[in-house]
Amino acid sequence: MARRKKPKLIKERVPTIERPPEERIHDFKEVNLGYTFELAVKEAERCLQCPAEYAPCIKGCPVHIDIPGFISKLVEYRDNPDKAVKEALNVIWACNSLPATTGRVCPQEDQCEKNCVMGRVGDKINIGKLERFVADYAREKGIDEELLFEIVPKIEKMGQSVAIIGAGPAGLTAAGELAKLGYDVTIYEALHEPGGVLMYGIPEFRLPKEIVEKEIEKLRKLGVRILTDHIVGKTVTIEELLQEYDAVFIGSGAGTPRLVNAPGVNLNGIYTANEFLTRINLMKAYRFPEYDTPVKVGEKVIVIGAGNTAMDAARSARRFGVEVTIAYRRGEEDVSAREEEVAHAKEEGIKFVYFVNPAGFIGDENGNVRAVKFEKMRPLEERDARGKRKIEGTGEYVTIEADTVIIAIGKHPNRLIINTPGLKVERGKIVVDENMMTSIPGVFAGGDAIRGEATVILAMGDGRKAAKAIHEYLTKKREEKANA
Amino acid sequence: MGYRILDKKELAMKEMWYKIHAPHVARKVQPGQFVIVRAFPNGERIPLTPIRWDREEGWIELVTFVRGKTTLRMANELKPGDELLNVAGPLGNPAPMKKFGKILAIGLITGMVEVFPIARAWQEIGNDVTTLHVTPEPMAILKEDFEESVSRHIVEDYPLQPGWGMNEIAQELVRRAVAKVRELLEDEHWDLVFIVGPAGGQKAVFEVVREYGIPMEADLHPIMVDGTGMCGSCRVTVDGEVKFACIDGPGFDAYKVNWDELIHRVGFYTDMERRALEEYLKSLRGE
Ligand SMILES: Cc1cc2nc3c(=O)[nH]c(=O)nc-3n(C[C@H](O)[C@H](O)[C@H](O)COP(=O)(O)OP(=O)(O)OC[C@H]3O[C@@H](n4cnc5c(N)ncnc54)[C@H](O)[C@@H]3O)c2cc1C
Ligand SMILES: Cc1cc2nc3c(=O)[nH]c(=O)nc-3n(C[C@H](O)[C@H](O)[C@H](O)COP(=O)(O)OP(=O)(O)OC[C@H]3O[C@@H](n4cnc5c(N)ncnc54)[C@H](O)[C@@H]3O)c2cc1C
Ligand code: SF4
Ligand code: SF4
Ligand code: FES
Repeated sequence: MARRKKPKLIKERVPTIERPPEERIHDFKEVNLGYTFELAVKEAERCLQCPAEYAPCIKGCPVHIDIPGFISKLVEYRDNPDKAVKEALNVIWACNSLPATTGRVCPQEDQCEKNCVMGRVGDKINIGKLERFVADYAREKGIDEELLFEIVPKIEKMGQSVAIIGAGPAGLTAAGELAKLGYDVTIYEALHEPGGVLMYGIPEFRLPKEIVEKEIEKLRKLGVRILTDHIVGKTVTIEELLQEYDAVFIGSGAGTPRLVNAPGVNLNGIYTANEFLTRINLMKAYRFPEYDTPVKVGEKVIVIGAGNTAMDAARSARRFGVEVTIAYRRGEEDVSAREEEVAHAKEEGIKFVYFVNPAGFIGDENGNVRAVKFEKMRPLEERDARGKRKIEGTGEYVTIEADTVIIAIGKHPNRLIINTPGLKVERGKIVVDENMMTSIPGVFAGGDAIRGEATVILAMGDGRKAAKAIHEYLTKKREEKANA
Repeated sequence: MGYRILDKKELAMKEMWYKIHAPHVARKVQPGQFVIVRAFPNGERIPLTPIRWDREEGWIELVTFVRGKTTLRMANELKPGDELLNVAGPLGNPAPMKKFGKILAIGLITGMVEVFPIARAWQEIGNDVTTLHVTPEPMAILKEDFEESVSRHIVEDYPLQPGWGMNEIAQELVRRAVAKVRELLEDEHWDLVFIVGPAGGQKAVFEVVREYGIPMEADLHPIMVDGTGMCGSCRVTVDGEVKFACIDGPGFDAYKVNWDELIHRVGFYTDMERRALEEYLKSLRGE
């Protein structure tokens, strides 16, 4: 492939278009509008095209997308946008089938963009937004479907079937890969919409639901059957699935919310982030009474926690026109949400309070929350295994008024699945071997179900890896059968 | 993919019966379990209880008591041949199926629907079941079905007085329930009391039962969204611990439930539920 000559370094990032905070806090429409083709090419031109073996961006991406490879296509075919995008998408798809999503939600600053060489002389390349551009343009022009049906011309049917539990990024990816390999795939999903956290957790203003729906449509076109309203462990057990299918993949996520262990946690007005976001995203409670599901947002909202979930809950609450404070037990340096989300939250006028740990919730005579009592925390020099500074209580307390509290301090894997007899589970997480197989032969797992709360791209990577392993497992089964 | 409504009837005032094609539920459901139904694209997910089913033919029967927007809209807009968008389940744990001996199973107003499959199954395995329905007239939910299925069925109903609001209805319900239960406990020996209904009524009855020291189980009705243990909307405090009614329940030991908290929690959205209903009624009137 011809690498182009670099005339000169362009140090500054080509900015993407963002809707101003004062406008966007009144609706749930997308905040960042991404690149146009012209702007994407301009940003792509800044990339130094590091050789694939050394490119730190490729190393930083959990699924090792050939980033300089896809970026170069945009420049190479700049005179033919459709072709440029098709070529670029082809490169991305070799490793990642949901680029419109990952381009929006990956923590790029800790992954692909972390060690971008351009960072030494100027701004790092905006890899996430370029990836998103390719996926969006392809979707809008139907290029993605065109490509899909080119690269899977005649799927050779294997005559074997696989059941997938959960339609989140892990399950959807595994399903897509297995369908392309010729297996009959059926997804069992508990909720009424497939998509997992992408549908019920991450808000419209960050990831429009239309994008997720389109991805799912593509899967259906590949022949994947999706059974919603089926709760594995209730509607059907894993044991029964094994009788009907040749292999099973568990991608049931980490859906059980963790609660603050403090008195008063069941007062009215105290939501888990999962409940709050499910009401808003899945059930569209922000459009009540046009939509039937209610949600109550008071005048003063406190969100406890500082991960992506906390930012999503806080920014959703802010869109009801109320005062929102994020309360975190550690300091600013340990906030774990994506950089862009934290920046957006601040622009939208959300307040941050650090080094406070909830100790109790104060209610009124009707059982409604009125305030949160926090213990003030103090940072220590010592660091924990994840590199975060340890903290300790000071014995001093502050009380902050609130009529809505949203708890966003993490989640555990779904309980209905981990209670399966014979399934090895450690600290709530399903245990898998190097081939993603669980302790039950023929049952594989990936995503948040094995990791606890992780990321979309890791869940997808697991889905892909498991699909490969399932393919090997089933190929062996076929051969054994043929030889028998 | 929807779930066809095979048949629909109005059994009595405000009491609607639906026969639904839902083979995945019919195959597995046990007495005490419920489903989550979504009937309209902009609608809520609401928990309802299959009262009968046929595992081979793949249908379940649901009975709703019209009380708010969703149950009214279902009664108004759905016809046989239409489809429910979603029927998820079966959810929750089955009721304990063993020989307790003599059981008093109480349903307060709409709670009677859920008593039915459990009371019938208890009777079938050899318990001596008396069912008691406390309700305003003339809402005698599944009266004949109960009479056929259990040892004795008692309906304690009362006329609604002109000008009564929700509060008066609830107060009268509690007054009647408490008096009738006290009378039954005083006169006869019981091995188990079971109750389904509004939390306030459940608590009041529990307080009577406690005086007699009789074991008591209650099916709880907190507000649910997903019904799969994912959201925490349905949390209740039982024996000092936070439980999710949808996957840990819905049945709990009445002696261990934090009743006051539950009463507060079920009332949290009352104003918004009323508004949804009013707007729907307005739209029906063409306003
Ligand atoms: C609010 C929020 C914001 C986030 N933001 C980001 C972000 O910006 N970037 C990022 O990378 N990550 C983010 N994450 C994390 C990311 O979404 C998850 O790591 C990822 O979705 C995990 O994928 P999964 O497929 O393993 O599980 P999930 O997405 O959780 O999907 C699991 C699916 O399985 C279904 N299921 C569960 N139990 C059963 C059962 N018994 N039977 C049938 N179906 C079942 C569930 O209904 C669900 O649809 C966020 C998470 C949340 C909650
Ligand atoms: C496990 C379980 C089984 C049930 N089985 C039946 C049944 O077989 N037949 C029947 O008629 N009713 C049943 N219910 C109650 C039923 O869910 C409510 O009647 C229904 O949600 C009312 O909706 P609505 O829009 O008509 O009324 P609304 O005006 O929305 O609500 C009226 C009242 O219903 C309750 N309610 C509302 N939404 C919910 C919700 N999402 N989850 C739980 N309760 C809610 C609240 O107490 C509320 O005050 C059951 C509830 C539970 C928890
Ligand atoms: S998948 Fe994520 S980490 Fe990899 S290149 Fe895309 S945005 Fe970066
Ligand atoms: S490290 Fe940066 S400059 Fe180098 S190839 Fe990757 S994106 Fe381009
Ligand atoms: S209804 Fe959501 S956890 Fe029970």
